[in-house]
Amino acid sequence: MNMDEATRHIEPPAYYTRLATRLEPTADIVKKTLKSRGRVVHLLYLKSVVDMMQLQEIVVKPFYEMSAEQNFSEYIQSLPYETKMPTGDEEILIEITKGNVFVMIDKQITLLELKIVAANAVQEAIMEPTIHGPQLGLSESIETNINLMRQRYHKPSLVIEPMQLEDASNRNIALIYDGERVNLQLLKKIRKRILTLDVELVQASGDLQYYLNNKKYSLFPTSLLTERPDRILHNMAVGKVIILVDGSPHAIIAPTTFFDFMLSMEDAYYSFWVVSLIRFLRYAGLFTCIMLPSIYVGVTSYTPEVLRTELAMTVAASRIGVPYPSFIEVFFMLIFIELLTEASMRLPNSISATATTVGGLILGTAAVEAALTSNIMVIVVSLVAISTFVIPISEMNYAVRVCRFLLLLYTTVFGLAGMILGMLGLLLYLVNKDSFGEPYLRMFWKNRQEELKVDDS
Amino acid sequence: MKFLSVSKWFMVVLCMSGLLLQYGCAFKDIDKRLFVSAIGIDPAENVENGYKVTLKVALPFGAIKDSPKPSFAYLSREGHSIGEAIRMLETHVDKVLELGHMKTIVVHEKLLRDDMQSFMDYFIRRGDIELIAYVAGARPSAETILKVEPDTEAPASVSLINFFGATANDSPYVVTTYLFELRRDILSDGINAVVPLIETNEKGDELIVNNSVVVDGREDPAVLSTIETKYFNSLLKHSTGFTYLVKEGSLELLLQISQSKMTYKFVPNKGNTAPHAIDMHIWMKGTIGEASKDLSIARLDEYNEVASKEVKQKVVHFLTKMQEENLDPFGFGLRYRTTRLHTEDVFTSWQKAYPDIEFKVTVDVKLQGTGTIE
Repeated sequence: MNMDEATRHIEPPAYYTRLATRLEPTADIVKKTLKSRGRVVHLLYLKSVVDMMQLQEIVVKPFYEMSAEQNFSEYIQSLPYETKMPTGDEEILIEITKGNVFVMIDKQITLLELKIVAANAVQEAIMEPTIHGPQLGLSESIETNINLMRQRYHKPSLVIEPMQLEDASNRNIALIYDGERVNLQLLKKIRKRILTLDVELVQASGDLQYYLNNKKYSLFPTSLLTERPDRILHNMAVGKVIILVDGSPHAIIAPTTFFDFMLSMEDAYYSFWVVSLIRFLRYAGLFTCIMLPSIYVGVTSYTPEVLRTELAMTVAASRIGVPYPSFIEVFFMLIFIELLTEASMRLPNSISATATTVGGLILGTAAVEAALTSNIMVIVVSLVAISTFVIPISEMNYAVRVCRFLLLLYTTVFGLAGMILGMLGLLLYLVNKDSFGEPYLRMFWKNRQEELKVDDS
Repeated sequence: MKFLSVSKWFMVVLCMSGLLLQYGCAFKDIDKRLFVSAIGIDPAENVENGYKVTLKVALPFGAIKDSPKPSFAYLSREGHSIGEAIRMLETHVDKVLELGHMKTIVVHEKLLRDDMQSFMDYFIRRGDIELIAYVAGARPSAETILKVEPDTEAPASVSLINFFGATANDSPYVVTTYLFELRRDILSDGINAVVPLIETNEKGDELIVNNSVVVDGREDPAVLSTIETKYFNSLLKHSTGFTYLVKEGSLELLLQISQSKMTYKFVPNKGNTAPHAIDMHIWMKGTIGEASKDLSIARLDEYNEVASKEVKQKVVHFLTKMQEENLDPFGFGLRYRTTRLHTEDVFTSWQKAYPDIEFKVTVDVKLQGTGTIE
């Protein structure tokens, strides 16, 4: 029997029609009425997000195999795919756009989650690679990500709290935390901040993080963006809240202190002394990349007596013929190296190696030969460029890169004293900063258990 | 409105970066500075009671590694005071004279007197000259010594600095005197400052530092001989590498002393507070570095005894010589002043006692081996 012919005689319910008309202009909408032996079922879904095979297996086939309408309605209600029915037309429509199938049997309406997600493959961790840790990161599907969390953290106290953003895309997000360990006040604060967000469109965790930050001009990140499940769990286990955004392979961790950004997950997988050395190197790298350009300007142009005599002579000799004062030289070289970094980041891997070689080696040597910069400067700049990358989290990396320009300005104007002043200013700024109520420069002197006790009280 | 604020912001940035280009006079690039590596002070020939100041300026050039020798420029000028002369010298060069790396002050032998404090004042007060600068005497004149460019001098380094402070040369013949030390010793009662004396060979291509001068009020300062300088250094400053030649009959030993330690006590008179003797004990530890005969480890005690006797003799001779000259490089008087209950005449009583004081020296040389494996 021709389906269309049959449905022509049955008037679809008004509610169903209303919903269908709201979705109407789009091409992928499917309105289907199944009819057999006097039983009628109305289906409404978007074929682009619904798994057709599943729909066929779970809804269509049983409908024709079952004898009575009553049975089928009960069968539909018993399905594990059922999602909670929201109130209001708009909400139901949003659910349909997410990949739910709207099933209407007489007056009974059900939503079945039969969605198909194309991008649910777990990706390799690119930004924070480790040698010994897990090699895979998150996927771009929130369900897969939650599954990853559950798979690694078997505790009934793991709470997944789904939320929906009030933006243009009605993006699904989820708060994940350990109910036993999380600070409830903090949880309330984060929840409130997400619900009161007034933004046009959230595309990924990155911009959600920016909006959560609540400040337009803010240099240092107050929440951490990660792609590593082990980092997420490491933070969740100490009572932090994880925010997942559907469609983004990154999770937001809040709150964070400055020192969280200096932690690489690799630290957990090595022995104490190795980790101590690596951490020392990392902090040394941090200070180098912030201060070294400023030290160069301050020392060569204001207080050369700081250097050893031999070094002072070498630096003086290497600057012979350099036409511009040291700070212009440093600015020039720093901008050059920033360009190089930026360019090699945007290029495909195979080309970026060439870019780095041409830029770094050839141009560097040529600049020295042409007496545009001193060769000591080239060493300084390369050291700065390399040490920037020891900071494991790229957001902090960017913040630090900006910082060193500010510090360089101070030093240019006030010499080494200005550098100290600038560092002091930076320290004051960081001390004054907080992340969701946690002091940004909070030091964890005590062990983890004691810290948790402190938080509770 | 938004455009306005952006343009304002842009203007602010533009003005600020414009200001940055107007860097002031404190900003001087390192290639606009001349590094003075040493200062020489001689008595002036043309100015009465004046000084002749010579600056040794290290010149950076090209690739340092390719240049075979360091290159220096010398600037000289006479003036009533050192500050005046240096101020005038600044008008003789196109760059800023940078004294921050000036580490050696070479003073003419004749100027090494207690009153040198008055002209050395300039160095103490100037902020960029460090008090850890070395002070040395010069013979025949500071200018000659500064102008010596030894063959061993590497590019971008200054021999006059390497000699002192045991960073490079730690020979026991080289006394190191810092600027602060000199000032302190001159100003305190009961000690005479000792300053190394730099000489040169006839060809003028070597610096030789193995004598020293005891700074005192007299016209011709007392010069410690090479041996005395060595004793002074190893007894007071524990300098190592002390070698000592022992002769007994046909046996000749050259001892290499790796550790030496000297302690002394004042032996007071009965009833009187002033001491009549100084009880000095010297320990030395080392090996035999050179011998004229075959040695036996079993006879080590014998060698110890011979060595002790000889060292004792030399030390007593040195001490009594200083006593006769009424010089006190060891600072016995200073020690006496600091360890007695302070009364008004504590130092005068010392001054009275010192010329007649008796030195009771015991030397304990402990040789650890004959220097060879039997």
